[in-house]
Amino acid sequence: MSEAERAGIEVVAVSPDPSERSQTLADGLHLGYRFLADPDLAATRRWGLVQPRGGPEGQDVPRPATVVVDRDGIVRWFSVSRNFQVRPDPGDVLRAVRAL
Amino acid sequence: MLGDVVTAGRLAALSMAIALGAIGAYLLLFRVAVVRNHPEGYVIAFAVATAVAGLALARSRRWPAWLALGVTTLLLAGGAWFNFVVARVPDTPTMLRVGERPPDLILPDAAGRPVSLADYRGKKPVVVVFYRGYW
Repeated sequence: MSEAERAGIEVVAVSPDPSERSQTLADGLHLGYRFLADPDLAATRRWGLVQPRGGPEGQDVPRPATVVVDRDGIVRWFSVSRNFQVRPDPGDVLRAVRAL
Repeated sequence: MLGDVVTAGRLAALSMAIALGAIGAYLLLFRVAVVRNHPEGYVIAFAVATAVAGLALARSRRWPAWLALGVTTLLLAGGAWFNFVVARVPDTPTMLRVGERPPDLILPDAAGRPVSLADYRGKKPVVVVFYRGYW
């Protein structure tokens, strides 16, 4: 993604992790992402993106997902992983963003 | 007879090279989307390595062939179990519909300030990425 495109959209990353650590890491890499912490998965659950007992200790975990929301706040594209090793193809996400 | 042993040894070595090479390639190329997004690739490589080890054993029942067969069989079983059982995420319904507004999202950022998805409405598009984090 070019700088201009990156400036035109916001990438918001949600996980149960404390966001300070993720943000420090991302800032070090100049990623420009915004990290939000959802420690009890309440918001993730509202989106229907929790895998019950999916963690190694039987805890609930987020389902890896990417959602493209347009300027009007409408979902234009999304992808939810069916295997936690798999993420959407960056090309597909870019196409969805460019189509906005 | 000696030729059979050498061939079996080479096949056993080839089998191990395929299996260990698959692990190395997967770890090394993890950031390449096409590699990361086809984890069944390492399972297939382990299956090929196991077949080659079986071929080695058919030539000569000496320790290199047994070792290769043991290692590759374990990798095949472990890899298949991880990829098809552990890593599987059940495909249950979400609250997301293309063309509709998603549920709101109000969460604290790194500085503890609450951020709402609604804050971006009318300003810029947002790509929301949910990830598992490191527990």
